[in-house]
Amino acid sequence: MNYRSRLLRLFTFLGGIYFFLEFVLPESFSLAWLGAPDTNITFGKFTPQISNGFITVGAMAIGLGLYNLLSIHGAKVAFRRKGWINSVALLVGLAAMMIVTSRDWAGSRQVASDTEQLVMLRNFTQAIAADEESKAPVPPVITRNAALLSALEKTVSEVRERVTSQLSTLAQDGLSPDTPQHRVLATANAELQVALTSVAQLQVALAADPASTSRHVELATALSQAAVAYRQILSTAYEQSLTKKVYNFFFIGIFSSLGTAMFSLLGFYIASAAYRAFRVRSTESALMIIAALIVMLGQIPFGMWIWEGFPELRLWILNTPSAGARRAIEIGAAVAGLVMAFRMWLSIESESFSEPKK
Amino acid sequence: MGLEHATVGSLVLLALMIAPVLYYIHRARRGDQLYVRRIRAVDAIDEAVGRAAELGRPMSYTTSITGVGPLLYACLGILYHIGSKAALYRNKLLSPQSDPQVMAITEDVLRDAYRDQGRLSSFEPRNIQYLSDEQFAFAAGYMGLIQREQVASAFLFGSFAAESLILAEAGQQIGAMQVAGSVNIEQTAFFVCTCDYTLIGEELFAASSYLTNEPVQRGSLYGQDRAKLLIFCMIIMGVAIATYNSWATHSGSRILPTIESLVMG
Repeated sequence: MNYRSRLLRLFTFLGGIYFFLEFVLPESFSLAWLGAPDTNITFGKFTPQISNGFITVGAMAIGLGLYNLLSIHGAKVAFRRKGWINSVALLVGLAAMMIVTSRDWAGSRQVASDTEQLVMLRNFTQAIAADEESKAPVPPVITRNAALLSALEKTVSEVRERVTSQLSTLAQDGLSPDTPQHRVLATANAELQVALTSVAQLQVALAADPASTSRHVELATALSQAAVAYRQILSTAYEQSLTKKVYNFFFIGIFSSLGTAMFSLLGFYIASAAYRAFRVRSTESALMIIAALIVMLGQIPFGMWIWEGFPELRLWILNTPSAGARRAIEIGAAVAGLVMAFRMWLSIESESFSEPKK
Repeated sequence: MGLEHATVGSLVLLALMIAPVLYYIHRARRGDQLYVRRIRAVDAIDEAVGRAAELGRPMSYTTSITGVGPLLYACLGILYHIGSKAALYRNKLLSPQSDPQVMAITEDVLRDAYRDQGRLSSFEPRNIQYLSDEQFAFAAGYMGLIQREQVASAFLFGSFAAESLILAEAGQQIGAMQVAGSVNIEQTAFFVCTCDYTLIGEELFAASSYLTNEPVQRGSLYGQDRAKLLIFCMIIMGVAIATYNSWATHSGSRILPTIESLVMG
């Protein structure tokens, strides 16, 4: 066994030992019995970070798939191999979907970041109130309040301007007042105006009394409501944008529809597979046909019309002999999977594809 | 229902299940002959490979939506065997993929198989093709691929969902000999109806042991059977305890602890 193989086995073992210990050890335990300081250790607290690490590694593999698609289909097109037209269609579709999805992602991010300003101001307001109560060593409340009010004034005017512009654009684009989107926008706008009015009143009150904790709490609440309403307006407006409509056309109109069409093939394939498979060639196949017939008849009103005992018989077949067989298969597969997982963890591999043949 | 953290009972059960595996692997490595019965579907794998070689048409091997894990590892054992045969007979082996990570591992395994047969120059990485990680997009791509290539033999091993019937039926339409295996019970039924041979449940894990006849895999298979025997005994005991407890409840006698309470704590 060379050093590379040993290193791989070591990393594999270390990678698995964390999860094994997390399962075996209690959720929280103390090492005081070893003479260590009496602190509770929570072994599983790193699990989210480790899981994120796995996702990160998995995300790197996306590039592999993309490279494979481009290299295989690109070569087909370049050398005009058999079926190169299909490859052109794939590459064009791939490029179009990437562009459209990137634009949609950017648009959604823009909506989120536009709302961010109000959220940050809310957090700042809450921090001022909390620090004032706890007498934390921070700059004086007058200074912080002044910065808050100055930022508020700028942000609130930007928000009003943006909302007015969005609503007028939508009106110009012909958004009908009867549509649900228009009603959503109208409701959100009304809520936003109420929230911004509260914000304006609280700005005046805080200018007069900067140390008022209750005013800060009220202001934070009003800013939360404003942020929610503002995001609702921006999201609804974005849904009406050309970028989103193109994305919806590609994703819902083409991709989801094609997936649904493929799924619907199952109905026809079940019929053709059943026609081939349900032939009485042996005792087992006869039993299978009888059981299938009873289960099918037990599920439809026509079966009940023939004999009202079919549904009950169907449930008995599914819950008794079928369930027993199913559980037996699941137990066998689970044991095999457990043993395989242990072999992988302890690197007890077969020599087939772990060591080069001599 | 599941265990967040191990109980003493579950650790004991785990040890009792793993110990026979390690013991029989040791025995198999020592050279002891461990008998395992043949399964018709596993023999059919060689038959299907031979059929494709005689007809001069390619084969296909897919693990569909199987992710990286113990199940994939089991499927790779079968892939290595099929890849070795494909290299030996100089037959084309297509391997459409839906997971880029699995694709990289598959390419590695197949390259090793070709190298071990001394046919590395025949290995074509572009036969391992990424289709899509979307279920039905993958199924559509697979259908198109095998129908254009007119594969003679199709192997479907791993974890499947609703696309299983689409994949298997596509092979049926072109007259391919199909051998399938899945741990998903619901999809096994579709495979039984559409494929020539089907490996059910753990037979998929056992297949690579049958094909390679290697001591580690054979010992592991033997140990698994002993672990299942243990579970069988526990089931019998559990039924007996439950029956006794239902009598004891009525008669006012002492109730025995159930297997579940012993293991789950």
